[in-house]
Amino acid sequence: MRTNRSTPVLLALAAAAALLFGSAAAQAPVQLRFVSLAWQEQAIESVTAVVDAWNAQNPDIQVEYQQIDWGSIHDFLITSFETRSVPDVFHYESRAIIDFGGRGYLTELSGVLSEDMLSDVVPGAWESVTDADGNIWGVPFLWESLIVLYNADLFADAGVTPPTIDEPWSWDDMRSAAATLTQDTDGDGQPEVYGAAFGLRAPVNRILNLSVGFGGDFFYQDADGNWEVRVGEAEQQVLRIITEMMFEEGTAFPDSAGLSGPELFPGFFEGRYAMLPGIGVWARQQIVQNAPEGFNWGVLPPLVADTQEQGSATQTLSIPAASPHQEEAAAFIEFLLDTQNMATLAQGDWLFPTRASSFDLPEFQTSEAGWDVATESARHLRLAAFQLVPNYTEVRNRVMTPVLQELFSGRITVEQAAAEIEREGTRTINR
Amino acid sequence: MNRTPPLARFAMTIALWTFVFFLAFPLVWLVLTSFKPSAEIMQRGAQLLPDTWTLENYRQALFGERILQTAFNTFRVAVASSLLTLAIATPAAYVLARRPGGVNKPVVGWILISQTFPMILIIVPLFMILSRLGLGNTHLGLVLVYTVWSLPFVLWMLRGYVRNVPVEIEHSAAIDGANHFQIITRVLIPLILPGLVATGLYGFINAWNEFFFALVLVKSPELQTIQVNLARFRGVEGLARWGPLAAGSVLATIPTLILFGFLQKGLVSGLLSGGVKQ
Repeated sequence: MRTNRSTPVLLALAAAAALLFGSAAAQAPVQLRFVSLAWQEQAIESVTAVVDAWNAQNPDIQVEYQQIDWGSIHDFLITSFETRSVPDVFHYESRAIIDFGGRGYLTELSGVLSEDMLSDVVPGAWESVTDADGNIWGVPFLWESLIVLYNADLFADAGVTPPTIDEPWSWDDMRSAAATLTQDTDGDGQPEVYGAAFGLRAPVNRILNLSVGFGGDFFYQDADGNWEVRVGEAEQQVLRIITEMMFEEGTAFPDSAGLSGPELFPGFFEGRYAMLPGIGVWARQQIVQNAPEGFNWGVLPPLVADTQEQGSATQTLSIPAASPHQEEAAAFIEFLLDTQNMATLAQGDWLFPTRASSFDLPEFQTSEAGWDVATESARHLRLAAFQLVPNYTEVRNRVMTPVLQELFSGRITVEQAAAEIEREGTRTINR
Repeated sequence: MNRTPPLARFAMTIALWTFVFFLAFPLVWLVLTSFKPSAEIMQRGAQLLPDTWTLENYRQALFGERILQTAFNTFRVAVASSLLTLAIATPAAYVLARRPGGVNKPVVGWILISQTFPMILIIVPLFMILSRLGLGNTHLGLVLVYTVWSLPFVLWMLRGYVRNVPVEIEHSAAIDGANHFQIITRVLIPLILPGLVATGLYGFINAWNEFFFALVLVKSPELQTIQVNLARFRGVEGLARWGPLAAGSVLATIPTLILFGFLQKGLVSGLLSGGVKQ
């Protein structure tokens, strides 16, 4: 029979093919796809240098680098998870990955990571990626503090001496200095130099993080796990200071409600504002790159409220549950985030590493570009309550942002804003 | 003869130039920004001309971010999808315009309704289908998606162009012995050429500017399109690498300008070629 005669030939061919392709498959390196959010030239160079080093040292596990922008990453990841066409490692932020982990999109990492990594990354950073059941959904590797930038020439002209790390200013000290620094040289009632300017176009995260120092958490959970929004005296402190400086004392630029942090730089470089309180630590890079020659600036130590604490989110690396190469991906993360590499990545983004061993490296202790004072602010970071709230984004976008914009435009009072945020925030959170 | 007074003509010229300036200004600003150093872009107050001219932004865009490769990818995908859309839409529009039947109205209704589907609703099943067909992460898959995405509107527009061609012309061609294929290719298409150019450009621009499908469907960096690439210059909190972004945008505009330059001639000649004496 024809079939019978051809069968052994086919089987032999199949076996040969299996041997051929099987051995080829065995030799082919594992391909990992790594999605990164680094976007500044220096940060991209740092990441690609580390990836290249990994690829050179690990011919069996090759990493393909893919850059995605911050504005698209959420949609990109959601569609990737739903279609199961996932990157093997991705870069994102702590608040989002807690949500992803809860939905089953991510690999739980506590049993995957090395003891060195688990013990060296500071506890406050681990808190930001750990859910209520103790699951770790990512490795925190970068974090940001809020700092005060100042124009050194305006300080010198006004006779204001900047505080030191050992003797930092309180918020009231900053207000007094802002009053001294504010100048209305032509006497028209409109200062030519304001003591301070706050970028308040998207104010919520900044206010929540700064309020931590006054003990203001805004979001509170009862014993049954239900959340509610409370805006008491502690939560109102930062709101009150900013609005009084803008609208009563006239020491802060009053049109800040329409400006983002980066939009303050042109005025800061021109000497229109003497201080930028509550701006991200990354902002120093903008000054180094874009300030006019001879611009004298510095970083003030974190302001003292009840404490110097601030809330902070972390940037993270996670492994999707659908990744077929989880073990290799974890090994790559360990490499990418070893002590020196994490320091390199942090420097590239002008943020702080989360490993204690990286944090203590000399590059973060130098006075150049204000690293030493900025690093001091990182010692006071902690997880803010809002990062644990399940539908915080909705509360922020629908309630807090519009109410705070009204407040910072001078249309409502702090008390009115507080009442509105409490009422609508609690209603939204429990919807 | 109705002559326009010189003063009115002068005012019209001024108005026209003002309008042209209004339209061209963003492009001029973009081009000049692409030659400014980063520090100058961040200065307060608008200054049109750079104090210091630099090519650094072009260096970063060209050599750091594979702008040319992604522009070529996009051009290839946009041209292919535009041509494929026209190839499908032209005979379909002819049938819809010339053969009114029972299914005609529902089809037209479906075309309109399909325009209202949000992308996010269809992206996951679309990705599944393309992956199953082996078209995930390929330019062919993207071409098919863009074709399907542009097709309803192109079909709708072309149907209008075909309806505007008097059917008597086709009857005359038929009397002269032309078959259906000849009537469409030798009579109808030259008459609706402006419509074909306009809808082709619509399909091209649709594909050129599209971001979300390209972001989700194409994973390999060497296959990425220009819009996804340009987005990489954007950072957080309103920050961006403005200089390289401007340079990349200028470079990305060049192929489109060249294409428009060529097609504008076709558009005008097509407009002039479709006269009917009644």
